[in-house]
Order: sequence, then C-alpha cells, then structure tokens
Amino acid sequence: MRGERADRLYRAGVGLLAGAVPVALGAIAVFVLVDALPALRYMGLGFWTGTQWNLGNQYGGTTASQNGVVAAAGATFGILPYILGTLLTSAVALAVALPLGVGAALFLSEYAPPRLRLWLSSLVELLAGVPSVVYGLWGLAVVVPAVAGGIGPWLSAALGFIPFLRGPVGTGLGLLSAGLVLAVMVLPLIAATARDAMQQTPRALREGAVALGLTRWEAIAGVVLPTARPAIFGAAILALGRALGETMAVLMVSGGSINLLPTNLYGPVNTLAAVIASQLDAAFTDATHMALHALAGIALTLFVISLVVNGTARLIVRREGAA
Amino acid sequence: MSTMWTSAQLEAQERPAGGDAAKMAVRGLSVFFGGQRALEAIDLELPERQVTALIGPSGCGKTTLLRSLNRMTELVPHSRHEGDVLLDGRSIYGPGVDVVDLRRRVGMVFQRPNPFPMSILDNVTFGPRRHGVRNRRLLQEIAEESLRAAALWDEVKDKLHHSGMSLSGGQQQRLCIARALAVQPEVLLMDEPTSALDPISTGKIEDLIRQLAEDYTLVLVTHSLPQAGRVADRVAFLLQGSLVEVGAAQEIFTRPRDRRTEDYLTGRLG
Repeated sequence: MRGERADRLYRAGVGLLAGAVPVALGAIAVFVLVDALPALRYMGLGFWTGTQWNLGNQYGGTTASQNGVVAAAGATFGILPYILGTLLTSAVALAVALPLGVGAALFLSEYAPPRLRLWLSSLVELLAGVPSVVYGLWGLAVVVPAVAGGIGPWLSAALGFIPFLRGPVGTGLGLLSAGLVLAVMVLPLIAATARDAMQQTPRALREGAVALGLTRWEAIAGVVLPTARPAIFGAAILALGRALGETMAVLMVSGGSINLLPTNLYGPVNTLAAVIASQLDAAFTDATHMALHALAGIALTLFVISLVVNGTARLIVRREGAA
Repeated sequence: MSTMWTSAQLEAQERPAGGDAAKMAVRGLSVFFGGQRALEAIDLELPERQVTALIGPSGCGKTTLLRSLNRMTELVPHSRHEGDVLLDGRSIYGPGVDVVDLRRRVGMVFQRPNPFPMSILDNVTFGPRRHGVRNRRLLQEIAEESLRAAALWDEVKDKLHHSGMSLSGGQQQRLCIARALAVQPEVLLMDEPTSALDPISTGKIEDLIRQLAEDYTLVLVTHSLPQAGRVADRVAFLLQGSLVEVGAAQEIFTRPRDRRTEDYLTGRLG
C-alpha cells in the first residue's frame, strides 16, 4: 500500500516538473505577443514588409497617432532587413559549418589514430565552451580584416558572375564575416554530434559493406554516412537555432546596418537578435513606449522563425526516418 | 548482367569445372592475432557446388578460418598469416590480388542480419552500384533475380522501397543473402547465419542453403550439429585452432575416425 502511494506521489511530482516546460514556453509566447501587439497595430503588416526603422522624434514630445495607438512623431518600424539579415547570416554559417563539421567528424571517427582523436575531440568540445563575446572580438580582429583584405576580393573575383557574390567588399564588417564567425561557433556542435553518430555505426554494417568488396572510403560513404545522417541533420537544426538567435558576436561583426536590404555577400547587415540588443537603450527613452513594443515584435518574429525552422526540421526527420 | 564480369572471372570461367574440383583450397594456413595463434596449419579443400560445414566448440577457430577465405581477418589490427588459400588454383594472398575483386567473388553472410539503413531495393543493388552498374532497369533486374534466388521476392516485391530494417529477422537475413548474391559471387561464406533466428526462419534459410548449393560453393559455420546434418555435404571439425578431421557429412556423423570428433558429437566435449 505504502509503495503504491509513494509511486503515485512520485508520478505526480515528475509530471508537474515535465509540465513546467510547455507552461514556460506558452508563457513566453503569450507575454511577448501581448507586449508586441501595440507595435503590430501601429504598423500593420508593414512591420514585416517595411524596410525603414526609425524610433521617431524623441526630444520634442510630439506624438503621432495611427490605427488607434500613439508613437513618437515620425516613428516607423519595418524589420524586413533584419529578418533577411538573420536568415542570410545563418544560411552562410550553416553552408560553411556543415561540410567542415562533417569532414572533421569523418576524420575523427574514421581516420584519426586513437590518441590524436582524443586530443582533437577535447579541443572541439573546448571550442563549444568559448563565450560568444570572445568569438566577436576574434571576429573583429581576424575574420573582418581577412574578409576585407583577402577572402572577399578573391570570392568576388572568382565567383563575381553570380550577382550576390560580386563586390564591393567594403570594410569587411557584414554578412560574410558574421556568417563565418557563426560558422565557427556552431562547428563544434555539428562535429561532435556527427562524430558520435558515426562511431555508433555498428561494426556489422561496416563489415557487411567491406565484405561486398567495397573499399574503406566506399564503405564510409555508403554505410557510415547514411547511418549518421539523421543525427547530422538534427545537429544542423540545433546549429541553425543557435545561429538564428546568436546576439553578441553578430552584433560586433555584422556592421549593424539599418534601413538597408542586403545587396551582396559582403555588405553590412543586422539581425533580429542584434537589433534588440543594440536598440534597447534608445528604446527605453521613448516616452510613448512604442519602441519597446516594436522590440517585442522583433522578439516575437524571432520566436516564430525558430519554431517554424524546428518544426519543419522535425517533420523532415520523421519522414526520412519512415522511408 | 554481363557488364559485371571482370577479366579474372572470365579467366575462371574458361577453366573446365569438374564436379569434384576444389573451388577453394586452404594450404598449411596459420593465422595469428598479435602473438596469439588462432589457426594452426590448416589443410582443407572446398569442393565446388557443395556445402562445407565448419563445426567445433566456441573459440576453435572456425569463424577465423571462414574469414580468412575472403581476407576479412586482415581487418583485425596486428593480424598475420602463414600458408596460403587458393581460389580456382590461385593464391588469394598473392601479390597483385585485388582484395575488392576477391571479396566480390567470395561473398559473406553474417551471424546477425545486417541490412544497411536504406530501402530493400537499395540494399540489394548496393554492391552492383558500387561496382559500377548505373542502368536503372539493369539494377531492377539484378534486384529481382537476387531476391528470387534468396527466396524473398514474393514477400517484398510490393514494398521494395520500404526500409530494409522494417523486415523480420529471418527476412532481413535473406535480404542480406540477396545482397551478397547481387554481386555474382562464386563462393558464399556464412557465419552462423541462423543463430539469431527463430525455428521457422531457420528452416527457410536451411532450405535456401540447399538451393544455393546448386549454383554456388558454400561454406557454413554452425554451432548446430543437426543443422550441419541437414544441409552440409561435407563437415570439417576444428578444435583449438587445428583441423581434427574432415569428410562427407554422413561419414563424420556416423563413423568419426577421431576420438575427439566422437566426443564432441556426443556432447562430451565443448
């Protein structure tokens, strides 16, 4: 009898703890949505399609009323450039980090001698623990000059026939630098997950491939990679989530553009997360509070993008798994 | 399927194949893992289109012997061998032997079914695709032929695009046999192919082994003496890395010449 009661109590306890997760998620969504509503009413759909971001006149005390809500005179909040900047920096990051990470994982799992594997693996995990502000500084000191003085001009010359890859390269602060810094930040996640998945390929599968007359590389490409594919895909999604939301490092190397749609791979951009951080100070001075509501609108947008990306990825993984 | 023939195979075809000719021959073979001797001076003939069963207690070296027939023992670090193994009279360890081609000619089926994480069709065509067959129609034909030969076609013909992992254990093992047959091997090595299967699946695999013996030279490692009795033409008994005796299955089971064989068969050994 006593055991049964303890069991019921225990079940209720862990149920409550597990329930905290959806409750927290729902609470965040509701609060951000409510906080964002005034800005969404003020701008309408223009909040997502507009390209102009202006907190309005903060000194005259003049206000403007629109759709029944009040904002500082001249205020307009269009976040399309930040949406594009977020998606593009993350896309560049993934495009660079995925092949690098899978390649590193292949070497670690299949080719590295055991001692080197151990040493390199711990280095990879160390990379994951570096604070993002350090990545930002490193980006400013190393990546930005490299993009401005080498990578950018070279890419522009070699692949300039693609309009988006054509110069001018400018200062180096911009999309490519942000993407590269993000790539290094998500690299350990992809490399470590892919390596673990590859090492878990059953020996029976490798032997089965070799016994069919495959060379080592063919066995890896034919059996090890397909086995690890779902895990690699999952890691890529986690990496994308991290890249979409990364704030500090991007803020430091993206060029912090405003009112400007990205026109090439090198120019300054801004991301949803970085704008929230960089505009927060100014927004607090807005007596109408509309600027804060607009930042909440950005947060809501980032939240929805993350949910959509994760949801889509899960759908794809499930379909892949069923095939 | 003529695209898959290699020059080595064509040469092999030109030689007259007598009924009792040895397809493979093991000559004074010793295998070492590190300092440990796993096999000691084995001499064994594997007649063409017959099933040779390797029996003996655990750790006697029967799996090592099987794996040395397609050089899978080489995958173990610090392994080496003395002596030789002949396929159609030629050393498989000689200089200039293409291991990839050897393993295509001497196929293998493992103890546990090991289908690749892909569709049934892709599993069967995996080998041919890797060996350069690109034509989709041809691949489809190879798949059907191999699945028929493995007695699996009727069960999977309507779900060729389902995952190979979705099949039952016995079906998975027949899929692995089909996969091995798809590269047109001449010899098929089977390492306890039914040890992970239920009795009904085991029966199907055993029927299949008898059918396959009409076209292929088979070598079967088994822990089940009744199984060896049901499917084997010849039986080789190994003990502690040495070959104790080899002969027709009937002979070995009814009139073993060596005392140790008799002890093993009657359960006093191993």
